Amino acid sequence: MGSIFRSEAMSLCQLFLSSEAAYNCVSEIGEVGLVQFRDLNPDVNAFQRKFVHEVRRCDEMERKLRYLEKQMNKDQLTIIDTGENPEAPQPREMIDLEATFEKLENEMKEVNANAETLKKNSLELTELLHVLKITQLFFNENDSEPSSSITQNLIPAEEGKGPVQLGFVAGVILRERMPMFERMLWRVCRGNVFVRQVQIEEPLEDPVTGDEVYKTVFIIFFQGEQLKTKVKKICEGCRATMYPCPESHAERTEMAQGVKGRLDDLRTVLSQTTDHRRRVLEAAAKHMRTWFIKVRKIKAIYHTLNMLNLDVTNKCLIAECWIPTNDLGLIQNALRKGTEKSGSSVQPILNCMDTTLMPPTFHRTNKFTSGFQTLIDSYGIASYREVNPALYTTTTFPFLFAVMFGDAGHGLIMLLFSAWMVIREKALIAAKMKGEIWNIFFGGRYIILLMSMFSIYTGIIYNDIFSKSFNIFGSAWHIGNSTEATPESLEHWESLTLDPKYRDIYEGIPYPVGFDPMWQISLNKINFQNSYKMKISIIIGVFHMIFGIMVSLLNHTFFMKTISIVCEFIPQMIFLLSLFGWLCIMVFIKWISYGCGEEFDIVHDSSCAPSVLITFINMVLMKKDKLDPESKCKVFMFDGQFNFQFILLISAVICVPIMLVPKPFFMRRQHNMKMNAQRVQPVTEGGESSAVLPVEEGEHEEFEFSEVFIEQAIHTIEFVLGSVSHTASYLRLWALSLAHGQLSEVLWNMVMAIGLKQSNVIVGSIMLYLIFAAWAALTVSILVLMEGLSAFLHTLRLHWVEFQSKFYKGEGYAFTPLTFKHIVNDDEDED
Amino acid sequence: MLDSIFNIDNGYLEGLVRGFKNGILKQTDYLNLVQCETLDDLKLHLQSTDYGNFLANEASPLQVSVIDDKLRDKLVTEFQHLRNHAVEPLATFLDYITYGYMIDNIVLLITGALHQRPISELMPKCHPLGTFEQIEAINVASTSSELYNAVLVDTPLADFFGECVSEQDLDELNIEIIRNTLYKAYLESFYSYCKSLGGTTADVMCEILAFEADRRAFIITLNSFGTELTNEDRKKLYPQCGKLYPDGLAALARADDPENVKQVAEFYTEYRALFEGAGNNPGEKTLEDKFFEHEVKLNVNAFLHQFHFGVFYAYLKLKEQECRNIVWIAECIAQKHRAKIDNYIPIL
Repeated sequence: MGSIFRSEAMSLCQLFLSSEAAYNCVSEIGEVGLVQFRDLNPDVNAFQRKFVHEVRRCDEMERKLRYLEKQMNKDQLTIIDTGENPEAPQPREMIDLEATFEKLENEMKEVNANAETLKKNSLELTELLHVLKITQLFFNENDSEPSSSITQNLIPAEEGKGPVQLGFVAGVILRERMPMFERMLWRVCRGNVFVRQVQIEEPLEDPVTGDEVYKTVFIIFFQGEQLKTKVKKICEGCRATMYPCPESHAERTEMAQGVKGRLDDLRTVLSQTTDHRRRVLEAAAKHMRTWFIKVRKIKAIYHTLNMLNLDVTNKCLIAECWIPTNDLGLIQNALRKGTEKSGSSVQPILNCMDTTLMPPTFHRTNKFTSGFQTLIDSYGIASYREVNPALYTTTTFPFLFAVMFGDAGHGLIMLLFSAWMVIREKALIAAKMKGEIWNIFFGGRYIILLMSMFSIYTGIIYNDIFSKSFNIFGSAWHIGNSTEATPESLEHWESLTLDPKYRDIYEGIPYPVGFDPMWQISLNKINFQNSYKMKISIIIGVFHMIFGIMVSLLNHTFFMKTISIVCEFIPQMIFLLSLFGWLCIMVFIKWISYGCGEEFDIVHDSSCAPSVLITFINMVLMKKDKLDPESKCKVFMFDGQFNFQFILLISAVICVPIMLVPKPFFMRRQHNMKMNAQRVQPVTEGGESSAVLPVEEGEHEEFEFSEVFIEQAIHTIEFVLGSVSHTASYLRLWALSLAHGQLSEVLWNMVMAIGLKQSNVIVGSIMLYLIFAAWAALTVSILVLMEGLSAFLHTLRLHWVEFQSKFYKGEGYAFTPLTFKHIVNDDEDED
Repeated sequence: MLDSIFNIDNGYLEGLVRGFKNGILKQTDYLNLVQCETLDDLKLHLQSTDYGNFLANEASPLQVSVIDDKLRDKLVTEFQHLRNHAVEPLATFLDYITYGYMIDNIVLLITGALHQRPISELMPKCHPLGTFEQIEAINVASTSSELYNAVLVDTPLADFFGECVSEQDLDELNIEIIRNTLYKAYLESFYSYCKSLGGTTADVMCEILAFEADRRAFIITLNSFGTELTNEDRKKLYPQCGKLYPDGLAALARADDPENVKQVAEFYTEYRALFEGAGNNPGEKTLEDKFFEHEVKLNVNAFLHQFHFGVFYAYLKLKEQECRNIVWIAECIAQKHRAKIDNYIPIL
């Protein structure tokens, strides 16, 4: 059987690589992706390892690539994903790559610097143009008043003094800084300046960041030199740019002309620069992806090489690694290929070692099983080679889910969604959607697909489709003897309570598949369904748990723990079967041997059927119920049941000490024997043991009897109490299913029925049109999504706790091979 | 403030800041950092800590100043994230923290302006937490009243400036006096604000701020010896919210040499310990380092309480200390001066 049943057998291997071939060999191994290297220098700091220099060079190359990528994103160039998988380049090619990136980066930087200065110039010129244009407007306003010119005194000249000359400063400032600027001017100059401002409508481009910024042109009039220095200082402080502005009209127009000309020239140069930049980037974008992959591969290889041990002679590198035993041949091939490539004459040596270390757990999964494996792994990675519950989970998980989510309509909605995901799988993977919630759904698409199909099945069994039923085979129930219900025939039925006792309403032959559709509208629907669903949940639960214990037998035989079979598996099985197994059998007996109709005598009439629950409780309490003597019913289902039950109970009770006591003692004896054997061993095979490589310090742990005993006690108590609480826990199957059915019925009656009950056709149809939207939205959001999620979580719990506690240890650690797959699939970006 | 409703407004941020605090370098990290041979080694090791690849986009060879800038940027980003998500009264509390940096920036700029340095050259040296809109216009002012009227009146520092408005020209001594007066007013105001918040915040913050005030008083006194500052003027600069107030401050005001200062400290258990082990000889820690160590201890203690704002202040200060440590180690590595590389202040 494949590794889905048990994790792969692993071998710890030692690899001797000649130093010239090491790089290529590791590269080939990375392409195969099935080798997990162990870190042989855990005490050495990251920066003191052998190949740290190469790793650093890779970091540097990555940085340059990221810089280029950023530039491309700025220009909105897309990096083409060709899907090709270039091999890791040889170390000597690294220099070429480095040179290429270096050249590109420098070129980019140069182009950017040029573009920046050009843009800055162009910004300055544009601003100057705006200043000239706007001051022009302003001066024109003044000129229209015949007598004034800008520099003319506004205050009539006092006698004895010459006309006061007003100076002015014009410039451009960021619009949001204007209020602060004005306030400061006012404060510092004590109101002795006159400020005019006009906003520049179109946004200007910031040369450094490339953002669009809005600016304002201002012109400040003042008097005197001292104020001038102050104003200039404030302008500087507020990062306003001041521009020279000639006083006379003619000069200004002339200047504007000149500026326009220069601006045009500048624009041509600028467009050429951007074209050049784009050409460079476009050329680079073609190789971007392969470059990234190459650099990351090199980096991964050197990271791995850093984990290896150096031989004393410096001629070869020693690696220790975990390899799936089945793939040893594959690895040998890869190593051979690597050696050929490097041209080294020394063959790498791969030899397996004996070890006491716990190997990693490796399950080969495909796209179907990986979802289920993830569910199991999130509880705990399986211990090495123990039975993997994921295999069984592929069916039990969707089944238990469906028992709770039994509605064919809701299942159909889920089916459509999951089928869409499964069919359009490739396109959706290629789309690389980033949403976290989406990725959860998409990762579990096969789980959802199975869950939906199982839900449709249980929905058909429950005959529940959006809380309505299909009457395909014709109901077995009739009202009166007529097949048509008329108001008259309904009259003497106060309510539609269905009781198979009355043969005039029940045909006697049940509906062939699932529930009879008539139950959906009957008054005692809940009573009937509860009894059925409750019993079925217990039966499913007990079977599920028994199955779990059976799986533990597989584990015990595989690990050759006879003591566990005798002291755990057998008593556990007896305990569970004699209590809860018997409960299930009683349910079956009750179903089969009680009923109504001629074929059942008075003792087996449905009115005489004993309560299974009460019988079970009495069995544990060892007491007999007294019936009143006139009744013809019997307390027990068959003669001798009391004694039989007594035997079952006793055997269950006996199992408890068997589970608790012998195993710790046995383990102590075994340990002592082992210790004795070890003491003898060195003498007998002293010569041989030195030849074996001293791999790792073996497990010479102290045997603490009290600890082992307490652990065993905990396990026993957990199992005994657990089997009670776990059985009860499976009742959630019934509870959730009931809740789901009721909720969808309520939704139909409270929402959809309003529209359907309208007597006026036109009003009704309009209302129905609107109400359907509400009903559909609520159905999807509450019944499918929320209820689905809740049923999913309950199923998960039933698997993790109730099922896996019977056999699953989950103390392993995952196999994390060196693989280039992630690098190629570009998953590394978020690291 | 009721502890039970603290989390409604501040639970997320407190959780965040405690998470940040867990990322502070441990002793083992420092041991590794100290072993680095080059700055690139340092970068490699910092990559494996909470700093992640904050230096990944810097071209080698690295400069210490680049590391310093990046460390500061990271801290500022974190702080600003906290500030942006804060609601009252935490927002005001966080703003209060930034005022200290504003004071430093103002003093830096004025001093620079006195030495005829252009503002554009000085701006990058300012702490980004202490920038405000008008800061670049600071060289308009030539007297302290101008400084107040033109620049500071709109800033939150205006309240602290009341005492030092004068028509005197700004010179070195004046600036120092302005800095210390501002800082005194700032500390006292921050202290009373924390007090008004009450609860654990008051307990924790008042402890830290009181120490800060006392440290300033000690350092002002020690630095004033041999300058033209009179004892009377000096007394005005002491923040009056520490444990030294009032008797200790009065005694400090009378002090004439370092020995007198030490005698004052004798009366206070926690300060006596600091002064005792301090010295400038090799193998001894300087008084400054001793103060830093004590500050770190107080800040670490702040994390032992829950439901208070002190953690935000303490985190910022601890992280600043860590930045100083890393920069110290980086400097030692860059200058190949490894003898004193162990003089960083561990954050335990």
